[in-house]
Amino acid sequence: MSEGSVLIVGVGGQGVLLASDLLATVCLDAGLDVKKSEVHGMAQRGGVVISHVRFGAWVHSPLVEEGQADALVALEWAEALRWSAFLRPGGALIVDPVQIVPPAACADRRTWTSRYPPMDPPSTGGRGPQLCLIPAQALAKAAGVARAANVVLLGALSTRLDFPPAAWEEAIRRLVPAAVVEANLRAFAAGRDADPLPLPPPGPRVAPGGERRFAVAVVSAWCKGCDICVRICPQDCLRLDSLGLVRVTAPERCTGCRLCELLCPDFAITVGEEGGAVVV
Amino acid sequence: MMPHILCPGCGHGIVLQALLRAVASLELDPDRVAVVAGIGCSSRLAGYVDFCTLHATHGRAPAFATGLKLARPELTVIVITGDGDGLAIGGNHLIHAARRNIDLLCLLFNNAVYGMTGGQVAPTTPQGSRATTAPRGNPEPPFDACRLMIAAGATFVARGLAYEPLTLQHLCMEGLRHPGFAFIDVLSDCPEFFGRYNRLGRGPEMLLSQKRRTTAVGPLLARKPALEGAQVATAPALPTGVLHRETRPEFTRLLLAQQGEGFP
Ligand code: SF4
Ligand code: SF4
Ligand code: SF4
Repeated sequence: MSEGSVLIVGVGGQGVLLASDLLATVCLDAGLDVKKSEVHGMAQRGGVVISHVRFGAWVHSPLVEEGQADALVALEWAEALRWSAFLRPGGALIVDPVQIVPPAACADRRTWTSRYPPMDPPSTGGRGPQLCLIPAQALAKAAGVARAANVVLLGALSTRLDFPPAAWEEAIRRLVPAAVVEANLRAFAAGRDADPLPLPPPGPRVAPGGERRFAVAVVSAWCKGCDICVRICPQDCLRLDSLGLVRVTAPERCTGCRLCELLCPDFAITVGEEGGAVVV
Repeated sequence: MMPHILCPGCGHGIVLQALLRAVASLELDPDRVAVVAGIGCSSRLAGYVDFCTLHATHGRAPAFATGLKLARPELTVIVITGDGDGLAIGGNHLIHAARRNIDLLCLLFNNAVYGMTGGQVAPTTPQGSRATTAPRGNPEPPFDACRLMIAAGATFVARGLAYEPLTLQHLCMEGLRHPGFAFIDVLSDCPEFFGRYNRLGRGPEMLLSQKRRTTAVGPLLARKPALEGAQVATAPALPTGVLHRETRPEFTRLLLAQQGEGFP
């Protein structure tokens, strides 16, 4: 492919911008014209991190239009869905099916039940995309640097573009911090060789995360009954008793925000997790 | 030692907790941290920490700390002082420590009143507020401690709130890492005197009101070499965050270099 349009999307901190820099460098080294345009900002708060990369003999606009992208590289499942309309029919959707629940999608702060979208594969009109699920985060971790999921996905992308692997490796050597170059090269190779995961069966939505319960411990001997924790607790878990000492009256509502612990002037409260952590 | 002697709802405990978290997250060795305090409610806190501590005379904490740092430059020295202690009787010591740019972290617990001695007017009491010695309202304008410190030459100046303990922890961490005189004006509260005389409520109300009296300064604005005095003055409320940062030779190192290798 001597010309093409690629979208790279993810959430903040996943390395979308580095990935698009790497792709653009490879194209430039191949003597192509490249235009790149990115939006970044607070994807975890509902904003977007997206990078458009267009390359060819002569590129006029840096923006990929809806239905025009040859490949969409997504570092997160919901972001893949969000941008899938930009793929052309039959375009490649290379995605790590990890799920990062944005706070805005969280319906219950204690259980982290969310309105996160189901794993049903997206469709683009008549001809669906070639969906390619790569466990990029896991492969990156195995390669020695957990943050190189972006490079793993580039490895998967590279099998669909015409540039030789050596050109990619050269770009990685130039742009990635020296200390992690070797690990990133391993991650790239892992992405090239990765077998795509099978599609999950379409079905009901998944609610990632699990029940978390917190234990609020009060040292009554130190509590002076100043009422700060009672007034500050957003979940209304605490009350002063008749002696003016604080009691945890609704521990089941506690979300573990630690505000009471942070704002108790008398070091009388500590918040811990009950029964070990459940990964969110 | 616990419970500590501070009144119910006094913000100082929250500030101490933030400082302790900062020291813990920087993984400083407690035996190499020294806390030097003056006189007053805030300065009593030195008695509750398991570091090397020095409870100095009224207002002289910066002077004691300067001596300590010169004698034992390898220590991390933290000065805990209050607004009365640090800005009134100790005002001179504070400005000269800032001028020398000696590597200390100075936390000024600012509750706008003399708490320990019974609620007298302090140099930070807002004009018009009531205190024991100003029953009809304080006729004097207050100090802005941060502007004073910037003018005196402090190389890291920030303002934090007891109401924002995590931000405060990060300010302390930055101050501890800063190689030079780091000053943090911490807005605390004194429900017992300032709150009671001015009908500001107890601890919870006073804490909640801090947010209304301040505006956070973003990192972009703070990266400018110094916030212009005029800018600070025209801000709608007290600015918080890192207000000033510069690099200047540190005093201990200058002095050691001057004395050559043979420091006695
Ligand atoms: S904030 Fe601390 S001292 Fe105040 S009522 Fe709560 S536990 Fe007691
Ligand atoms: S951690 Fe404390 S403030 Fe937060 S919800 Fe639990 S009890 Fe309330
Ligand atoms: S007098 Fe004021 S500053 Fe002193 S301990 Fe009591 S509330 Fe705190």
